[in-house]
This record gives sequence, C-alpha cells and structure tokens, in this order.
Amino acid sequence: MNPVSTVFRKELLDVLRDRRTLVFMLVLPTLAIPAIMWVTTEMMTHFIDKLAKERVDILVINPQVALEVTEELAARADPKGRAMELVEVLRRQGLSEKELARTKGEPRRFAKLLEEKGIDKEKLLKEIRSVVGEGEFDAEPRSILAQAYPPNFRIITPEDLKVSAEVLADPAKKEEFLTEAIRSGKIAAAVEFEKETTRLLNEYSTASIAIYYLQSVDRSEAARNGLSRVFKGMGRKLVTRRVSDKELPAGFARPYKLDVKKLPGPGPLVKLLSQMLPYMILIFAFLGAVYPAIDLGAGEKERGTLETLLVAPVSRLSLVLGKFLVILCAALTSALLATVSLALSLNIGVFSELAELGGSSFSLGVIEIIAVLSMIIPVAAIFSSLLLALSIFAKSFKEGQSYAAPLQFLIIMPAFVSFVPGVKLDWVMASIPVVNISLALKEIFTGNLDRHWYHVGLIFVSTTIVASLLLLFATRWFQREEVLFRN
Amino acid sequence: MADTAEYVDKKNRKGMKDEKGVEDEKGVKDEKGVEDEKKEGVIADSLTKVFKTRKGGEVRAVDSVSFRAYFGEVYGLLGINGAGKTTVLRMLSTMLTPTSGSVSICGFDVQENPRGVRERIGFMSTATSLYGRLTAREMVTYFGRLNGMSAGAIQTRIDELFDLFEMKEFADRRCDKLSTGMKQKVSIVRTVLHDPEVLIFDEPTAGLDVLTSRTIVDFVRDCRARNKCVIFSTHIMEEVEKLCDRVGVIHEGRLLADDRLEDMLKGSEAHRVEEAFVSLVGKQERSGK
Repeated sequence: MNPVSTVFRKELLDVLRDRRTLVFMLVLPTLAIPAIMWVTTEMMTHFIDKLAKERVDILVINPQVALEVTEELAARADPKGRAMELVEVLRRQGLSEKELARTKGEPRRFAKLLEEKGIDKEKLLKEIRSVVGEGEFDAEPRSILAQAYPPNFRIITPEDLKVSAEVLADPAKKEEFLTEAIRSGKIAAAVEFEKETTRLLNEYSTASIAIYYLQSVDRSEAARNGLSRVFKGMGRKLVTRRVSDKELPAGFARPYKLDVKKLPGPGPLVKLLSQMLPYMILIFAFLGAVYPAIDLGAGEKERGTLETLLVAPVSRLSLVLGKFLVILCAALTSALLATVSLALSLNIGVFSELAELGGSSFSLGVIEIIAVLSMIIPVAAIFSSLLLALSIFAKSFKEGQSYAAPLQFLIIMPAFVSFVPGVKLDWVMASIPVVNISLALKEIFTGNLDRHWYHVGLIFVSTTIVASLLLLFATRWFQREEVLFRN
Repeated sequence: MADTAEYVDKKNRKGMKDEKGVEDEKGVKDEKGVEDEKKEGVIADSLTKVFKTRKGGEVRAVDSVSFRAYFGEVYGLLGINGAGKTTVLRMLSTMLTPTSGSVSICGFDVQENPRGVRERIGFMSTATSLYGRLTAREMVTYFGRLNGMSAGAIQTRIDELFDLFEMKEFADRRCDKLSTGMKQKVSIVRTVLHDPEVLIFDEPTAGLDVLTSRTIVDFVRDCRARNKCVIFSTHIMEEVEKLCDRVGVIHEGRLLADDRLEDMLKGSEAHRVEEAFVSLVGKQERSGK
C-alpha cells in the first residue's frame, strides 16, 4: 500500500476516535451556530418587545401653553385613546381586537394572522395611512404593527412630580432635574413647548417642540423615537387641515410622493448569509483543523511515538502528506457542516427575527458550488499546513495550543471583512490572504460570480501556491533535527 | 512470561531481503581473536555530534565515539543521564545526522542509505509510547505497513507473535486501556514485527517495575539467542551485568571504555560493573581537571 494512504488511514482513524476533535469538527459547526443565533435573536426580540410594551411616563414641562397639542399627544400616545382610530381601521379589515391582542405584538404572529384572514397588506397600509398620515413605513408586518401599536406613554405634568416652577425656569437646574428624573426612572423623556405655540399654530406658522432625553438610557431613547413618530403624525394631520382650510389642492403640502419599488434580486436573507457565511466558513475551517493538527504533530512528541515513526522506512514527505490530508479533511468537514447548518437553519426560518426577512431563498448553482469549493479547499490547505508546521515545532500539546490561539486572531480579523459594508473585491483586496477568500465568497453568495470570475481565478491560483509552499515548509521542518528534537 | 526460546527466526517468511553476507565483507577481527566467526551488525566510527545552543555556542554531545556491535551479542551503552547515550542511538537509527564520523548498519551507511538502515532496524525507547486510541492490533499493523509488509505477512506475524506473547485477549483493546505490562508487549511486537536484524533499545526499562522490566530483559535475551545484534542503553548497572556481552561506558559524550564485560571488570580490578564505572568516570574527571 502507498505509504501516504497508510499514514492517512491510520491518522484518520486516530482522529475520529478523539472526542475533542469530533466536538470541534462535527458537533460545534452543526449545532453551535443555530443555537447561538437562536438564543441571541430570541433574547433580542424578547427585550425589544418588552421595551416597546412598557408603559413609560413623559413629562410635559409646560402643558398650559399648548393645551390642545398636549391633549392630542396624550390621546395618540395612549394605546387605548390614540389607537382607537387604528383599531377601527383594522376592524374594518376584519381583524377583531381580540385577535390582535393574541398576536402579542409579534410581527411573526401578526403576519400569520394577516395571511389567515387573507388581508392584503398594501390595502391595509393605505387605510392606515389615511388615519396616521403619510409615513416612512411600508407594508411589512413589522412596520404595520409599529403603527398599530403606539408607544405606550402616560403624559404627566410638573405637579405630578412635585417640582417647583423655579427649578424648571432655570435652564441649568432644569437640565439637572430632568437628567436625574430620567436616570432614576421617574420619567423616560420630557417635552417642552414654545411659549407662543397656540398663536403660532393658529397663524399657520411653525412652533418648536423640545424633547429632552438621555442617550445612555434605553427606554429614554425609545421614548424619544416614539415621541418623534407621534409628533410627525400629528404634524401631517395638521398640514392636511391647513390645506383644506385654505382650500388648497391636496397636493399642495405633498409635492412628491415617493414610490419605492423593490426590483427582483437577492433578498435580505441572501444579503445576511453572504456576510455571515464567508466568516463562518473561515473560522470553522480553522477550528476544525486545530485539534487534529496539534494531535498529529505535537501529540506524537508528547506520546513519545515520534521516534518510532521517524525510524520507519517511509519518506518524511509521505508522513507529512498523510497527516496533512487528514487535517485538511477535518477542516473541510467542519467548514462545510457549518455552511450547510447555517444555510438550512436560515432557510427553514427557525428564527422569528430572521424568518421575517424573507426574500428569495438561498441556493447555489453547480458553477457557484465549484467556485466556493475552489476558494475553501486551498484556504483550508493553508490553515492545515500552517497548523501542522506549528504543531511539528511544538514540544507538547499545550505548546501547540498556545501557538494556535494567536493564529486564530490573525484569521478572525481578516475574515470579518465580509461584514464591513462597502468593501469591494478588487485587485488589491484579491491579493490579501484570507481577506480575498472572505470577499470572494461574499460575491459568489450574492450571485456576482459572473462579474468576479477573474478575481476568483487569481485567488484560487495564488492561494493554492501559498498552500503548497507552506506544505513544503512543513515537510522541511519535519526533516530538521532542531525542530523535531527541540529538547 | 512466555518462554521465547521456542520463537524461531522467521526472517525468510516475510518476504524481505535477507542481507546476511552483505554486511561483513570488511569484518574486522577482534584483536583477541575470540570473535572470529562473529559478524558486525553496527560499526560506529569516530561518531561526533555537535549541537548549536541558542546563544550561538556549541555543545559536543557525542565526541568521536567508535565501537562495534556483533550479531548474537548484546552491546550495552552505559552512562548516566545526559551522557550522550540517546544521541548516539538516534544517530544509529537515522534520526540525527552525525556532525562527523560514520555509522554502518548491516553494511548500509546511515547517511548514504538511511532507508536501507531503517528497513533493518527495530527501535524501541521508553516502551509505553503507543497511540492510545488505536487497538493493539491496529498499532502493530500500522507499523507493519509502514515497514512495507504485505497484509498477509502482517497477519501471519501478528498471529504468531500475539500467540507467543499471550496477547490474544487484549489484541482488540485500545492501547490507553492496557496495563503497563500489556503495553510493553505491544511495543515489543511493534519493534520486531518486520523481523529486523539490528535492535536498538534506548533505556527501555526506564520507569518500569520489576515484573514489566523482566519482560524486556527476557525479550532482549531472546533476540541474542536468535542471533540478532542488540544495542541497549541504560544507566542501571545490574542490567548490564545480567544482559550485556560487551559494554561501552559513555560519559560526557566520550566513550571511556569499550570492551567485553569480563575484560572490563578485570581491567579495572572491580567485581561489579558499578565499581568499574565509578573508577572509569573518576579517572576521566580527574584528567579533565
């Protein structure tokens, strides 16, 4: 039998019996990604929802200067008062309050409800717009819900907080008081009207409204967003009234109507995957190779089997090749499992947050798969030969691990480039190791292989050359006495 | 312990070339004329190894060591820890390249034909070094394959040797689940599976209890009985007395004595190897100062 295949078969058997390797090669890539994503997205949704549903107090510093505005604000911000109109809209579409309540404000449930009822989202949106005015929202369930579920505010006045007029009259003291009130959780934000608000509004002029909030407090930031939205809606309604008062055409206050149309193409899911997959593939190709590499090199020294192996009448190249191929297999298995696991869990839509993204599902053609493999195999070969060389140098398993750890950082950082928006795959990027693979994979996953085939070709050739040189280097090291017998 | 005397030389059965007769054209006769019919398995000539230290200095780990080891004899390399025993044995077994000097094993030069040398030697160090996740059978088979044996030849030898060393019951158990004694036997079988002509043992009994080191000692005797050339390094004086025909005393990289055991004892007027060793090393240290 060919000595390379003898070494390969023995090392493969050895590695497959090692639990540590199995965990890193099989279990981690298959289960860890879906698990981590599931936990994080579920936690985020949970806390965001909690924040949205929490009822917070908004202090109106001087309600007396704009009584009508304050009243309307209170009505709009109160889920009962303000949403009555909206609930009416939804009811006209055949959605009862009870059914709405059952969605608990979750976009996924709401989308399902709309589907069950056969309600056209566009039509619903039109109705909502007629009530809340033109807004920067679209027909996605999340957006509709944001309108249907108002910010949960209770409007309070300075008397409620028992704060004296002097404090509020002094700008410095007022700031100090508001900061403390928000930090202590008494209020989430504060609103102050211009003194002449009523007169200015009656004169068809502009009245300024100050919103005080604390950026470092999440609920304060959320309250600011809610207030902006409410005031925007109120402003739109006022404009409509002014236009009709002056008997102006409806288009007077709305010279442009934006009609944003999505062209068919990769949806948000594809975009997300094309960012995540290159990173995941690189990380897991590395992680999958670490343990077998350390075991097959430094492990021989630690067990004391190295000498026996070196005395066998087999060329050092055969030994290195056999070991290298096992490590490469482990790296590729780990990377491919991670890819499949991530793509599957996103396509099946296990995650409420991500399932909403929708769009076209993620699939690759034969050419793309070949291109992806032509990127993954040589870069996995680089990791494998590099790790094997380090492992041969290391005196023990522990020493091997201490070399692999910093190397991991060297991989993670350039691999992360797929997440950086606006970085294009050009000739410069194509010549930076790891970065080039990350970007090339991103382009292939986004469906841009046709525009980048020459980059992909160059990266394949250069990465293969680097991998071969590193393998040659590992073989050299396996012949050097001072590397093999460092003690 | 199985009586290994019944174990006959199966060299011609495994299909490897028998190099007997090739190795000894220049066979030098022992000066006392006793060794007429004995042939050299190992000839080490002015063997020197210099290691470079990290600070740019040099360490002469082995300094012009010359000796001959014969078939049918056990050559003991005796020295304290750090004397240079392991370095000598690593040069004999092609792991290290000599800085100067030469080694020939069965007529093959270590530097010119390392592969020829490797095919003819069996090397065993601290005997428990096995692949823990492989079974005894897999472990032995792997090295059989690396030594170029056919599947059939490996199977025949395994059957024969596992039977001889009473290893059948744990043949398919993983090595890390074996007792020290069992591991010892796996190591021995691994070393002799391809039936090497020269056997090199680097302190094989280090750290073993009396019973397990007996397995080794019996095995070494058996190798001698089958006309193998055995090189055995140790720092245990009694082992030398029990096993060795010839002794090389190595200290600080130099061979202080290289003689038949009884001649060495006579020469130093000592009754025990220990006394002889101490007197030799003492002389060296004094002359060194």
